[in-house]
Amino acid sequence: MLQRESTFAKEALRYGLIVIVLGFIVFPILWMILTSFKPPQDVMVSPPRFLFTPTLDNYYHAIVDKNFLFYIKNTLFISVTSTVIVVVAGALAAYAFARYNIGDGHILFFILSTKMFPAIAVILPYFLIFRDLGKTSVGRFLGLGLDQPGALIVSYTMFNLPFAIWLLVSFFQDIPRELEHSARLDGLSRMKVLRKVVFPLAAPGIAVTGVFTLIFCWNEFLFAYILTRKAASTVTVGVESFFTLQGILWGPVAAAATISVLPMMVFVLAMQRYMVRGLTFGAVRG
Amino acid sequence: MSLSASIPQRNQIAVPSGMSDRWFAILLIVPAMAVILVFALAPLIYALDVSFRYADLTLGGMGEYVGLDNYRSVLADAAFWASAWVTVKFTLGAVILEMVLGIAIAFLIHGATKGKGIIRSLMVLPLATSAAVTGLFWRYLYDTQFGLINYFLGLLHLPEPNWLGDYTIALWSVVIFDVWQWTPFVALIALAGLQALPREPFEAAELDGASTFRVLRTLTFPMLAPVLFLVLVLRTIDCVRLYDAVAVLTRGGPGTVTESMTFYLYRTGLKLFRMDYASTMAIFFLYAMLVASLFALRPLLTQFSTRASEG
Repeated sequence: MLQRESTFAKEALRYGLIVIVLGFIVFPILWMILTSFKPPQDVMVSPPRFLFTPTLDNYYHAIVDKNFLFYIKNTLFISVTSTVIVVVAGALAAYAFARYNIGDGHILFFILSTKMFPAIAVILPYFLIFRDLGKTSVGRFLGLGLDQPGALIVSYTMFNLPFAIWLLVSFFQDIPRELEHSARLDGLSRMKVLRKVVFPLAAPGIAVTGVFTLIFCWNEFLFAYILTRKAASTVTVGVESFFTLQGILWGPVAAAATISVLPMMVFVLAMQRYMVRGLTFGAVRG
Repeated sequence: MSLSASIPQRNQIAVPSGMSDRWFAILLIVPAMAVILVFALAPLIYALDVSFRYADLTLGGMGEYVGLDNYRSVLADAAFWASAWVTVKFTLGAVILEMVLGIAIAFLIHGATKGKGIIRSLMVLPLATSAAVTGLFWRYLYDTQFGLINYFLGLLHLPEPNWLGDYTIALWSVVIFDVWQWTPFVALIALAGLQALPREPFEAAELDGASTFRVLRTLTFPMLAPVLFLVLVLRTIDCVRLYDAVAVLTRGGPGTVTESMTFYLYRTGLKLFRMDYASTMAIFFLYAMLVASLFALRPLLTQFSTRASEG
């Protein structure tokens, strides 16, 4: 009896602590979503109001007055294009690394070390290179100048390929070699084996890698901030445009932030089984 | 020699055909390698070149070569060292807090019997958000007038600091934000590590009547060590590269007390347009990260990948 009471107390303490931790984690996001539905007069008040009549005014302001969907559209185009390139080039390379041990691990590690570059250290050359490229006719045709989507697509492809290759290598390693072996013995060419056997088997891993890449592109700030002004700006920069001379419009900021964060939250929730694996470059399979 | 060559190797698929495996593999890595070589090495070479020149964009761009002058002036620059110190303080504070809290939370969740799924779902949410977007919103939370944080502190009759405006506190406000975003990551990895531990040694220890502390010290932590080291290194590399949170929360201020190395680099390069000076710092920075990933990250990742291929 006593034993049971003490385990009950322990459990109660455990869940009490868990609730506090989760409160800290969730509250900022919850407050952001709540603020986005507040009428303007309830946003800048002290003490903060927890009860209010919800309204869509902030969303109206963000979408209609500030044209926030323009940034969503840019972000979508840039992120999806980068992700497709990253996943295709990454899957081919990762397969070669996983199966043929090209470069004996050295090339693979060189690739990862480029991911460790601080973005800020390469941003100055990128800025100057894209500034000059944008003045050439080829650069203009491909949209590779400053404030053009091509510049961001190139940057995001470069910065996410290393991550994608590492994660995909770990997924390809999970596929038994015997299947490819027998397909080869059946007379399929290497490319056919890749298309008909390996990629279908690796599809979940490829999808996970794609979603991760999409999230990273979507949330990227530094390149978007420095390489764009307006025409090619993405959501992370767009939110900054709510800074006005009169101060920061917190209601519309919350609405815009909610619009830009929610899709990524849905993705992350759908993939939470793979979070640990993705964020450790495939090292911890969780 | 000829004998070993005729035995099919484990990691090759030995079927005779037109192209050798090696060439096929090289063909597969060409697109990715082309992107990486061009877009990683080109800026590197560019930055290296600029770091040996005089280059003030406000005075017409690239100037003549000046040898190691930029390197000397960076090393003699008090603001550079101040920003390095800010980065060290931030990294130590954030990484220690994230590791300690993350591991504690992992143990907490690991022992829970019900609701792990929901707990984990809520934990991953900060990882979905962009530091630039949520960080911006944290300015509202930190606000001295309308902010929720000081409102709660007031209810508890605690002091209500000026989070982003006070010289002594501002950097720790950035740390708190980073801890909010990244502690769940540490916790999730530690939790994955805990759940992957084999049961037998623990059952044996229990039979022997070993104390909880002894089990932790001699079994749990040594077995978790590789995972914990990996997350420690990943978090450290990330914290040293801190930029987004500073950019949206404090812009280096008040004064320069939250100016990290990355933000100082940004300011000299893209606000003062001293490309030569900024590029030199970038080279220092790249070198430091290269050393860190070579000596800290590589052994850890190699360990994991060999383990995975054995398993």
